[in-house]
Order: sequence, then C-alpha cells, then structure tokens
Amino acid sequence: MVDFLTSTIGLSGWLAWTLAATVSAVLILNVIAGGALVFIWAERKVSARIQDRLGPTRTGGRFGWLQSLADGIKLLAKEDLMPEGADGMLFRLAPYVSFCASFCAFIALPFAFDVVGQRLNVAVFFVVAVLGLEVFGVILAGYASASKWSLFGAMREAAQVVSYEVPLGMCVVVPVMLAGSMDMVTIAEKQAGWFWNWYVFHDPFTFVIFWVYVTCAVASVNRAPFDLAEAESELVAGFHTEYSGLRWSYFFMAEYGSMFLVSAMAAVLFLGGWNGPIPVATLLGFSEGTGDTAPYLIRLLGLANLVGKASLGVIIMMWIRWTLPRLRIDQVMTTCLKYCTPIAAVMFAGAMLWQIGLPGGLIPGAGRPGGEIREGWLEGPGGRAAAPPAADESRDVARVAP
Amino acid sequence: MTPTIPMADLVAGGLLPLAAINFHTLFFLLFAAIACGAAVAVVAADNVVRMALFLVLSLAATAGLFFLAGAEFVGAMQLMIYVGGTLVLLVFGVMLTAQAPFVTMKSAGGDRLLAGFVGVALLAMLVLAGLSVPAWRQPASGTVPEPTATPLGMALVGVRVDQPPAGQPVDAVRSGYLLPFEIVSVHLLVVLVGAAYLARAKRRKTPRAIEVAASVEPPEAVAEHAAIGRTRAAASVLTGEPS
Amino acid sequence: MANAIEDDPRIIEFDVRTDEMLVNMGPQHPSTHGVLRLVLRTDGEIVSEVEPHIGYLHRCAEKIGENLTHRQWIPYTDRMDYLAAMNMNLGWSLAVEKLMKYEVSEKARHLRVLIAELGRIASHLVGMGAYGLDLGTFSPFLYAFREREKILDLFEEACGARLTYSYITIGGLTADLPPGWLQRCEAFLDQFEPIIQEYHTLLTTNAIFVKRTAGVGVLSRDMAIEYGCSGPVLRGSGVDQDLRRDGEAIYTAMYDGYAFEVAVQKDGHYPRDHEYPAVPAGTVLGDCWHRFFVRMLEVVQSMDLVRQSIDRYSACKGTIGEPLKLAEKMPAGDAYLETECPKGQMGFYLVSDGSAKPWRVRARSSSFSNLAVTPELCRGCLIADVPAVVGSLDIVMGEIDR
Repeated sequence: MVDFLTSTIGLSGWLAWTLAATVSAVLILNVIAGGALVFIWAERKVSARIQDRLGPTRTGGRFGWLQSLADGIKLLAKEDLMPEGADGMLFRLAPYVSFCASFCAFIALPFAFDVVGQRLNVAVFFVVAVLGLEVFGVILAGYASASKWSLFGAMREAAQVVSYEVPLGMCVVVPVMLAGSMDMVTIAEKQAGWFWNWYVFHDPFTFVIFWVYVTCAVASVNRAPFDLAEAESELVAGFHTEYSGLRWSYFFMAEYGSMFLVSAMAAVLFLGGWNGPIPVATLLGFSEGTGDTAPYLIRLLGLANLVGKASLGVIIMMWIRWTLPRLRIDQVMTTCLKYCTPIAAVMFAGAMLWQIGLPGGLIPGAGRPGGEIREGWLEGPGGRAAAPPAADESRDVARVAP
Repeated sequence: MTPTIPMADLVAGGLLPLAAINFHTLFFLLFAAIACGAAVAVVAADNVVRMALFLVLSLAATAGLFFLAGAEFVGAMQLMIYVGGTLVLLVFGVMLTAQAPFVTMKSAGGDRLLAGFVGVALLAMLVLAGLSVPAWRQPASGTVPEPTATPLGMALVGVRVDQPPAGQPVDAVRSGYLLPFEIVSVHLLVVLVGAAYLARAKRRKTPRAIEVAASVEPPEAVAEHAAIGRTRAAASVLTGEPS
Repeated sequence: MANAIEDDPRIIEFDVRTDEMLVNMGPQHPSTHGVLRLVLRTDGEIVSEVEPHIGYLHRCAEKIGENLTHRQWIPYTDRMDYLAAMNMNLGWSLAVEKLMKYEVSEKARHLRVLIAELGRIASHLVGMGAYGLDLGTFSPFLYAFREREKILDLFEEACGARLTYSYITIGGLTADLPPGWLQRCEAFLDQFEPIIQEYHTLLTTNAIFVKRTAGVGVLSRDMAIEYGCSGPVLRGSGVDQDLRRDGEAIYTAMYDGYAFEVAVQKDGHYPRDHEYPAVPAGTVLGDCWHRFFVRMLEVVQSMDLVRQSIDRYSACKGTIGEPLKLAEKMPAGDAYLETECPKGQMGFYLVSDGSAKPWRVRARSSSFSNLAVTPELCRGCLIADVPAVVGSLDIVMGEIDR
C-alpha cells in the first residue's frame, strides 16, 4: 500500500506510511470488533441450537442478527462500577492491555496473499509472543479487582497460559520447519494447490501435531474445557467478576479476537491458509499475471477461504464449549505437561526425521520440495552460498536521521 | 521496501512542522521515552504489581525499539522471554507477598540513597562505554540485509551462512554459536532441575507435626484426600500460626 | 505410629509456604444451589477446610405449622424440597395418616406411587443437570430441564400447579387424574427412555466428567452412616438401604407388590435390571461419580415403578376417595415417619393435643445431614472439587433451612 501511495498518488514518504498504517489499523480493529459482534451472535445461536433452543429471534429481524449490537449498546449504557478497594489505575488499564495484545497480534496475520497489516519475517513467532501478552491484562484485572475470586482466576490463567505456551510453541515450530520460514505468508504459499499439500496432511506427525495445536490453542485462549480463569461454577466469573459495562466487553472482544486469531493461525500453519482445498483460481486460469482484476479476485477468494476456515475453527470451539465439562486445574496442567508437551516434542522430532528421510513424501517424485534453505540470497550455483545480499533485496532501515 | 526519507524532501514539502521530524526518529523517541519513563516508574512505584506493569511497559517499549531497528526476531524474543518472565515474577510476587491486597513496599531513605548512587554510577558507566565506541558516535547510515532469522538460526546449530568463506560449500563452515547454545541449554536444564528440586513435595521432618497429624487419624477411605489438609493443619499448629 | 506416618507417601509438605486465604463461597454463588454459604480456607488452590453456614432461607416453617391445621401445612411442605414437592406432600400426609391410623383407598395408593415416582424423576433430573453445571457443562442442564418440563406438564394437568403442587394430601389426593393423562404419561416414558442414554454419553461416561468425579469426595460407608446420610448419598457409599423397602409398614405398604431393585452396589456390581454403562476405572465406591450414578439408576428404576403403577392404577375400580376436611380434629399423640424422598430420608414428626392444629411440627431434613459431610469430603481437595462435592450431595436449601 505504501508503494501505491508513493508511486501512484505521489504522496510523500512519511504521509504515505502514516496513511497506510492508519488504514491497516482501522481495518484490523474492525475485524476484531466486527468479528466479536458476529461471533457473539454466532455463539448465542450455536449454543441455542445445541441446547434445543432458538436463541435470539427478534432483534434485527428473523435471526436476531442485531442481538450483539443491542448487547453492545446495553453495555455502553451500563453503569461503570469499580470495587471500593480496587487499585484504580490497574483496574482501568487491564482491559486495554488485554485488548491491545489481541489487536497487536493481528498486525502480523495475513488474511490473503499480501493482505497483511505488516508482513513480518518472524510473523509466527511474533503472533505467539504477543498473544502471550494478553494474559498480562487478565492478571492485572484479577489483582486490581480486590476480589479473591478474581485473584484465583488470574493465578489460574497465568499458570495455564505460561504452561501452554511451551507445547504451543513446539506445535508452531513444525510448519515453520517444513516451510523453512517463520513468515506466515511464505508458510501459506508453500501449501498452495490441492488440499493434500496442506501441512496437516504432510506426514503422520504433522497430522498428530495439528490436534495437539488445537488443544493448546483452545487452552491458550481460555475456552472450555480449559476456561478455568472464568470458571463460573467455581470462581463466580473469575478474573472479570468485578467488571461491567464497556470494560468487561473489552475482555470479551479480546477473547473472541484471540479465538479468531488462533483459528486463523491453525488455518495458515496447517490448513493451507488462503489456499482452498481445491485450487479454484488456478483451475479457472487466474494467476497473478493475468489481467488487472485477476490478482484482486485471487485475493478475494483467499480472504474468503481464510476467514471461512478461521470461522469454522471458532465454531468448533463453541461446539466444544457447549458440550464438555470443565477440567480441573491439576488436570489442565497434567494435560499440558504430561501429554501435550511430550507428544509435541516427539512429533516435532518425527516430522524432522520425516523431512530428512522422505523429503518428497511417500510417493517418489510426486511430493513437494524438501526442506532446503529457502532464502533466495543464500542459494548459489552448485549448492554454494551466493554472494552476500544484493542491494536490491536489502532494506534501508533509517535508524537515525542522517 | 521502505523508502528512505531525505529530510530535505520533507521540509521542502512544507506540510507540517512535524515534517521536520523523521518518521523513524519520532517513533524512536516515543519508544525510548516510554522505556526510560517506565524504568524510572518501576523504581518509584511501591506496589509490586504496578512495578511489574511498568517493567513490562519498559521491556515492551524496548521490543518496539528492536522492531523499529528491523530486528524483528530479537523484538519478538524480547516480548516472549522478558514479558513472560515478568509474568512469572508477578505471579510469585502476588502469591508470596500478598497478605492483604495492595501491600506497599516502602524502602528506607538510606536504601534509596544507596540504590540511587549505584544506579547513577551504572548509568554513567554505560554512557561512557557507549560513547567510547567510535562507530556509535555518528548516526548510522547505509543498508542492512533484509531481516531474516535464518542466519541466526543456522548459526545456533553451527553454520554461519551469513559469512560464507570464499570457495567453500556452506556446510563446511562449522563454527557458529553451537557451543554457547549448548552451554546455555545445559545451564537452563540445571536451573530447571534446581527449580523442580526446590518446589518438590517432601515429607515433613519435624516429629511434632507428624504426631499431631497422626492423632487425628482419618477414616480409611478418605485418608488420601484428607492427608494433605491434615498435615497442613498440623504444620500450622507447629508454627503457631492461626489455623 | 510416628514411623507409619513418616513412611506414608501421602503425607507431604512443601518447602515454599504460601499464605492461606479465607474465601466465602456463597450465599450468592452460582454453584451453591441456593443460598448456602461455604467458608473455604484455601492455600492456593488447595482447600484445607470448608465450613458450611446455613440459615439464609429460614422461613419458620415448623413454627408456622403450629398455627395451621394439618392440611393447611401441606403447602409449606411444598416449599421445603421445592424440586420434589410431591414427595414432601406425601411424607407429611403419611405422617398424619400414621397418627390417625388412616388408610387410603387402593386406587389412591397406586396414584400416590405414580406421582411420587414421577416426582423422583423430576428431582433427579434437576440434580443431574445442575451437577453438569457445577462441572462446567451447560447443555445437559437444558436437556434435563426439557424432560422435566414434560413431567411438570403432566403434574400441571393433574393438579394445576407446576412447582408447589399440594397434590398428595391427607387422606388421598386432591383430585383424580384427568382423562387421557395415563396415555400421555406413557407416551412421555416411551420417549424419555432412550434419552437416558444421551445423559450417559454426555455425563456418566464422558471422560472429563469421570476425571472430575472419580475418586473425588470419597464418603466411606462408615462415615455415611455416622453422619446420618441417606438417599443416593448413602447408597452411593454402598449402604443397602431404601425406605421404600426397609421403611415403616405404613410406607412400605404403599409399594406392596411393586418389583424394584434398590440402586446400590452389591458384591461389586449394580443391579442389572437394565442396560447401564459399566463403572469406569478410577472410581471409588462412595465418590461423586457413584452418588451421581445411583441417581441415574434411580431414574430408570422410577420409570419402571411408574409403569407398574399405571397398570395397577388403571386396574383399580372405584375412586381415589375423599381427602380429609381442611380442619379435622386429630387424635392426641405423636407420630414420626420417614419416607424415601429423592434427596434422602425425609422425616416428619408431629405431636397432637387432640385439636385440629398440631401442637408441634418437626421436619428431619435429609439434605441437612447430607450437607454435614461436606467439611469431611472437602478437606484437602481443590477449589474446583468443592462444587463437585456439594453438587453430588444434591442438596436443596429450602429443605435444610425450612
């Protein structure tokens, strides 16, 4: 977008940058806020259908699709309460910390080829790291509320998220290893084509590790059966017991944002990202080069694909939530430390060995490229390193003004 | 590709007074100010959770500086390790200190003076050391390679792909950071074992606690569940704390 | 002795000592089943002491009974165990009839069995569903209430009320069944029977449910007897006692000729009159799972009893007889009768001075005795186990506080 603004419209550099950043930020913000509205409505409908109910049917017409908006207005109009003994600054700050963390992680999430807030070289790592920040807001909320239930919730969340980051990290590393890059755009592009190119079907180990990732992802965003931090039957409402109105809704938006994020991560890392199960665009003869509209169409298709996959993930999380009882804290920790972590470690090693032993897959010649060093500038003729980075592939990082 | 922003161009554009400030400089100053301000706030705050908050803020701003400098890997690392570490610190802080919510920690005047002296001395040393490097005295210019974590990752397993020696295949270069990497790994393992040792459950050695626990014999079937609770009750009798 | 303890691997102590915390669970708490207040002494997640506080729902029912006639007090029994009001009505009516040495007609007897067993199903459905809630799963609660609503529909047809029936009364029942009721009841039983399997899938045999309940809150046989526990709580600990079989003559006479097996584990297995899921590994007799399972068995068993009573009731000629007048003078003396209510053995004691009003009324609440074991069961458990234990006792505060 910056290139477009500078070259086509002719804006000066910093203005183009600011504009591009603002547009991206607003778009992402709307993805989270709008997504939360849709998902809250979906959660109501899904849970209702699971439970032989109808859910909202009146607000906004037949399917009650304006219910979340009405809820939002209600939350806005609600009296803003803060417990007397609370630590005011931390209490007010906590929801924003949570929300910001969820929001920041979206920066590096690609929605389709090149449709990404900021294409980062270490996008996967960045997302995992930033997502871990969300727990900080929860702890602040739990501590600042001056409520023992909140404190319990916060401590549980801290223990849980810090533990689950370990297996989650291991799961995430496997697609990174297969693609030879931490760039999410690259990882998704490596899975282009038919659905058997997806990393989940790459080898038996990746198939297993995908399910480990699903478990850890559900745990790391605090959804049932791992929603111990807000376990309503034990801790009243956990860390947000004392929150109401808009501040509470920030936590809610952060939660739904994170849910969407980990689902989108699953889609990008294991399920081909924006590449559909059937390469429709390729079959129809679209490619980046054909015509003016084709690239847009391809991106639109990819966007629909990714959002569809991520939404499916969110809906599955809802399905799980409304079906299963909640685990106990020691069982949650056991699941993480005794099952997820060792399984992830073994599967990681297995996937690595597979990559070395059968780089082309089981069928010789039919497979995908193996795990060579993929950075173009490293590859030289005859397997030798090329010359140090050429000038056109390097990036000026004006650290300090000249 | 990030365009270079020649200052003259911006000034000539005459758009805003803000144009006088370079885009990167602006954010550099912003992050630096947050990092420094939060660091001071850590020292000034007297509540353990607020301290942790400011610490996280300071570290996150440092991560922002790394991102600004194009060191995305280090920035993400900073977020993950330091913020995660602070989180654990915070949990322990709350669990081990919070008798009542919001305990404040006031340090004595002498301590403050001493700490201030040490802090200023350290700062002075760092500034002097920084200024003594000739290359750091003037603003950097030129280009840095496309940021990628591959050379770092390869170097950790012993292959310096970023410094290929002339006329040799990449694989032959086996120096890298393999040894430091292994040393750190073993070190971390030792720390892990040590932590597990410290936190492990062990039997009470003091005889009285055992007697007290024994005198309230739980019924057979519930013994397993009651054991922990009873020993704890006995321990609090022993230490004279209100049970 | 000291050595034995020293070698006991179960007794452990940690080096790192953390602070203890006193937490109030209730009287306003989502999982304390009404207005029970539990004071927990916790060390982190481990509960070292639980103290139940009761009395938040005290309504002086016994004292009021001294100022009302015997029949006028029946609505007050409705409000004791409001989830099984029919059985409460029955208990009080039988106690008064015992004082009077009154015997109801054959048709009324079978109708009483029919109604009381339907009431038991309705009560156990709430107990089951609410237990799911305590463990963090919401849907089984609604599935249970869906079926309970159908029973309440039947009750409403019979007596006009859905919660506080006052249907069974001294000398019989207030009214006979409306036409077609029996067919509707049978239709309900037919469609309800397969649904039990659904409950077993969602709860009884669900892996997480078993993990949360197996071996948790183990109530030994001796302790159950010592504390005067009764009903499913007692039978869940393997004590073979059911007042429908072992009670006083006036009560057991009601079930004369009815075939049923007491739902209790004998010689290592439960009755095999129907297809039940196998007892999962890890459960201990007397734990939360067994208490829950006994309730599930009793639902099936009550369905059998309802079917039997429908046959007998429709075979009976004549009427259900006239209930006693509102203010009938009672013979002087006293009577105490315990009946097998869904929650346990509910006893009613009344002293009469020969007037139309009792001189003293006293109710022996089963939930009260069942609740009394909570401190024992919760010692050393985790916070999440407290709702699991309290929920498995299936208490009703209306009955405890009266």
